[in-house]
Amino acid sequence: MHAEAVVPHDEHHHHDTDATDVFGFWLYIMTDCILFGSLFATFIVLNSTGMQASGLKSHLNLYDILIESMLLLASNFTFCLAALNLYKQKLLKVQLWLATSFILGASFVVMEVTEFYHLSKEGFRWDLNGQASSFFTLVGTHGLHVTFGLIWILMLIIQIPILKMNKVARRRMTYLGLFWNFLDIVWIFVFTIVYLMGAI
Amino acid sequence: MLEKLLFGNLTLDAIPLHVPILMGTFAVVALGAISVLLLITIMGKWKYLWNEWICSVDHKKIGIMYLILAMVMMLRGFSDAVLMRSQQALAAGHAAGYLPPEHYDQIFSAHGVIMIFFVAMPFMFALLNMVLPLQIGARDVAYPYLNSISFWLTFVGAMLCNASLFIGNFARAGWLAYPPLSELYYSPDVGVDYYIWCLQIAGVGTLLAGINFIVTIFKMRCPGMTLMKMPIFVWSALCAMILVALAFPVLTVTLGLLSLDRLFDMHFFTDFAGGNPMLYINLIWVWGHPEVYILVLPAFGVFSEVVATFSKKKLFGYTTMVWAMAIITLLSFIVWLHHFFTMGAGADVNAFFGIATMIIAIPTGVKVFNWLFTMYKGRITLSTPMLWVIAFFTTFAIGGMTGVMMSVPPIDFQVHNSLFLIAHFHNVIIGGVIFGYFAGLIYWFPKVFGFRLDEFWGKLSFACWIIGFYLAFMPLYILGLSGVMRRINHYSDTMYQPYFIVAAVGAAFIGVGVLFQIIQLIVSIKNRKALRDVTGDPWNGRTLEWSISSPAPLYNFAVIPTVSEIDQFWLDKEKHNLPNIHDIHYQPIHYPKNTPIGFIASLFAGLAGFAIIWHMWIPGVVGFVGMIAVLIARTFMTDIDYYIPAETVKETELAHFKEVANAR
Amino acid sequence: MTLMMKQELINKSSFTCFCNHLFKLGVFLSLLTLGGCNSHLVGMFAPKGLIAHQEHKLFFDTLALMMIVVIPVIIMSITFVYHYQVSHRIRDYKPNWSHSYFLESLWWSIPCVIILILAIMTWKKTHELDPYHKIIGIQGKPMLVQAIALPWKWLFIYPEEGIATVNYLEIPVGVQVEYWITTDNVPMSAFFVPQLGSQIYTMAGMRTRLHLIADEVGTYDGMNTQFNGDGFSDMHFETHVVEPAEMQRWVSEVKKSSNYLTDDAYKELLNPTVGDKPKYFSKPVPELFNNVIMLYMNSSGAVHPRSNQLKFEKE
Repeated sequence: MHAEAVVPHDEHHHHDTDATDVFGFWLYIMTDCILFGSLFATFIVLNSTGMQASGLKSHLNLYDILIESMLLLASNFTFCLAALNLYKQKLLKVQLWLATSFILGASFVVMEVTEFYHLSKEGFRWDLNGQASSFFTLVGTHGLHVTFGLIWILMLIIQIPILKMNKVARRRMTYLGLFWNFLDIVWIFVFTIVYLMGAI
Repeated sequence: MLEKLLFGNLTLDAIPLHVPILMGTFAVVALGAISVLLLITIMGKWKYLWNEWICSVDHKKIGIMYLILAMVMMLRGFSDAVLMRSQQALAAGHAAGYLPPEHYDQIFSAHGVIMIFFVAMPFMFALLNMVLPLQIGARDVAYPYLNSISFWLTFVGAMLCNASLFIGNFARAGWLAYPPLSELYYSPDVGVDYYIWCLQIAGVGTLLAGINFIVTIFKMRCPGMTLMKMPIFVWSALCAMILVALAFPVLTVTLGLLSLDRLFDMHFFTDFAGGNPMLYINLIWVWGHPEVYILVLPAFGVFSEVVATFSKKKLFGYTTMVWAMAIITLLSFIVWLHHFFTMGAGADVNAFFGIATMIIAIPTGVKVFNWLFTMYKGRITLSTPMLWVIAFFTTFAIGGMTGVMMSVPPIDFQVHNSLFLIAHFHNVIIGGVIFGYFAGLIYWFPKVFGFRLDEFWGKLSFACWIIGFYLAFMPLYILGLSGVMRRINHYSDTMYQPYFIVAAVGAAFIGVGVLFQIIQLIVSIKNRKALRDVTGDPWNGRTLEWSISSPAPLYNFAVIPTVSEIDQFWLDKEKHNLPNIHDIHYQPIHYPKNTPIGFIASLFAGLAGFAIIWHMWIPGVVGFVGMIAVLIARTFMTDIDYYIPAETVKETELAHFKEVANAR
Repeated sequence: MTLMMKQELINKSSFTCFCNHLFKLGVFLSLLTLGGCNSHLVGMFAPKGLIAHQEHKLFFDTLALMMIVVIPVIIMSITFVYHYQVSHRIRDYKPNWSHSYFLESLWWSIPCVIILILAIMTWKKTHELDPYHKIIGIQGKPMLVQAIALPWKWLFIYPEEGIATVNYLEIPVGVQVEYWITTDNVPMSAFFVPQLGSQIYTMAGMRTRLHLIADEVGTYDGMNTQFNGDGFSDMHFETHVVEPAEMQRWVSEVKKSSNYLTDDAYKELLNPTVGDKPKYFSKPVPELFNNVIMLYMNSSGAVHPRSNQLKFEKE
């Protein structure tokens, strides 16, 4: 309130926006954590009640799941390479590594869809029982997130030359990096709780 | 085939031509809408409406739009209440009343949904938007564009809910749509789908708004304002928004799973094939209980501000108040099971949740005592906002008391699902939340609109509300204890009828109160010159929002204030330490440009929601893809902000100072 | 009436008792002012069983305990506001007095103590009145009644007696009754006889349990409390509490009935109906209650187990 104590504000405002925006994105990630947490809880509840014959166990192919996991982890690694190159201002390399991430991620989604298709062909359909429903929904929600991540990567590949690697582009890479990492972490839980514990 | 893909299950039969009440309502609504549209056209205000309101990212304007939405929806929710009260007053003994169950069941479901989601929530966000950035000395919220999206999503959700009146029907499963009743087998029509999608869309809007305000509070405070120097309303908002961010994802999941059950025959909550309805009831209350605190905490904030201002005294026990709210925030997540003690959990579980619930009464009680002692040795002015606060003490004490009583599981075994429960939560939600929001609205109205509300009509409407409130809800306590259940359409024992008639009379009183509020608004608009708030500080306020002109300029603060104490503005006034207007150095102010993206994306979301409800797959895909495409298109836009020139700022500020000087 | 109340008041003189009567008096007065309806009280006001009596007492004990805080708050809110109005020009004005360790610890600690007392009471009473356990202090093997919520009516099976009834419950006075409860072809409901005590949800594929005892002969209203569709308001049943000997007579009479509860008769009951008059059956299908539960538990696939026989439709 003291007029003499007032500092010109605008620089202050601009300095702050980056930190502000990333904080908001972290909050979004946190809400997504709760979303997945609720889905995991649902999965666990519906897989622990009464009925023993989950059905899932006999259909699981851990070998394919391992490949899926590798694809996702690799795409995260290539994304990190893209991010590194962004700081080195190497535009083409950024796009190249992003494209690699996209292909790896897309292969993951394709494998998952194929898996779903086979499961339902073999009779383990989403409308069979509560366990099947929760399996398809939990794994599917993760897959949907990955799909959105893929669209985002595609958009960045297009936008980076337009935005000329300015602050906005860098910020968007940061967000996408957070998101992509987050999906990997969620996948680790999916892999452990749904697949490993389901197969045991 | 194409017709099926385009129109799904939607046929002309979905329009309830045979229900005269609905057609009458439709005629009135349509007539009203057409006349408003005509009026806008005649006055040539379309461009203004589009540029200044629909595209606006200004938190003050978004706040006003939230407010209008809440008020309009309150009229609808209130008409539902009147229908229910009159039905129950009539339908005793052999009389069946005038509402058949299939209609009545929609009304009570819609009443709950509308009052919580489309009245209380928008009302809260209206207050937050109108006041919060001003209180922390910020020029806007952290993400103005996201704010616009949040509002329009809420708006679209509310419109979907309204559409169910005239196209198809609404849910008949209660406001929380417990399965298996809400499952496809027991509710095959579109009602529950309307329920799911209007809440899903509005819920996402709320979640985004919650994130927005958390970031605003943490990152946008003016220099010197540490967390423990924030106005108490900001604290209450922070606690509520943290609850939003933690609870609303659970709602999204719960509704999402229910819709998967209904769309794809899945088995999350079905009563067969391994589904678990109890899981839904747990999940929905994991969201639902914090939701109650999301609503009431900002009302607590309002009470704190109003009590301090109108007692001309510092808020008693600021630190205690903050801690009390923090404790309430934490505890609100470990009490959800008290909504269903009668489900048959063991005594240990029930007792744990019962005791956890009653512990919340401790910090709440502390808050009440702090408010009381803020008034003690103060100088109290009985303006309308203060009257609402005073009425709140008694209503909330009674509501809180019955709440604690019901948290004792064996007592709950007797009164669960009865009208006792209905009386209890109306006691806290009307007597706590709505009274608080009314107080806040009247208190901050001049800051937003530039003139005060008429005191005479305000007090008259207050009186009607209070009388109506007690008449409407006290009989329900007695009825509940006599074993009358909620949601009944008719009852055979005529002994209950007098109570229901008293309750209906109470509703009529509240109706008169609402009417007086409308008159109050009209009278105030008419007399706005006389009621003009020239100084920007009509109540001798304590916090930063009163240090600027009313209505606040677009950029809020020409220079960002610096604070070193709680109630800095009050202290400055006391010490005559206000800035000298000649010393102010004006600078250009960075500001976001208006954008229609939020509105358009939300319309697409609404289309997608409506399409899913009716299984119209082509419009569904169009709506969903359209929404994503519009949001992506925005990321390609670079021209999204501008500078308000220093000259404009200077002119605006000097005009204000001149007006103040003239008034003196 | 008032005289009787006074007499009772003298007999039991605790504060809770006083509160209790104050409340009743309020109810009575409001009844009177409402145009002289008959003053018979129902529901929680007139408990007719041990559980209901205890819950009734707990209700008024808690009310009394809460009054310790509620009454001062209401009084202070009115007196402070009245006294410290600007127009009263009270000299005593302390604009910056906003903190007092003593006062604040006072109103942290008083509610804490009250809640502590209430919490102890709650823990004890919740365990004592646990609906799943046999009633404390009541000897003898409980009588078993199996209740199935059907589309807007109640089916009661007396497995030991070999009879079944619809919308009619007859139980002996002074004998503990154990209820097994489930539901079939209707959404989650709840079983409740307000004058006997606790209610409990009924859920498909699950068995909930309840122990109640009646200590006075009479007819009481029983109902569903959980909204379960359009016929909800009419889902009431009569509860007849009779002397054990009369109960025996009634059972042997129903047993003679040729109205057997066969599979077909049960399927007929699955049809949604509203406001059914009491029906009496003999020879219920053996294990009907368990079979209904197993039907839901063992189902799978997209189709509801009842929809092959009968689609649940609203009128």
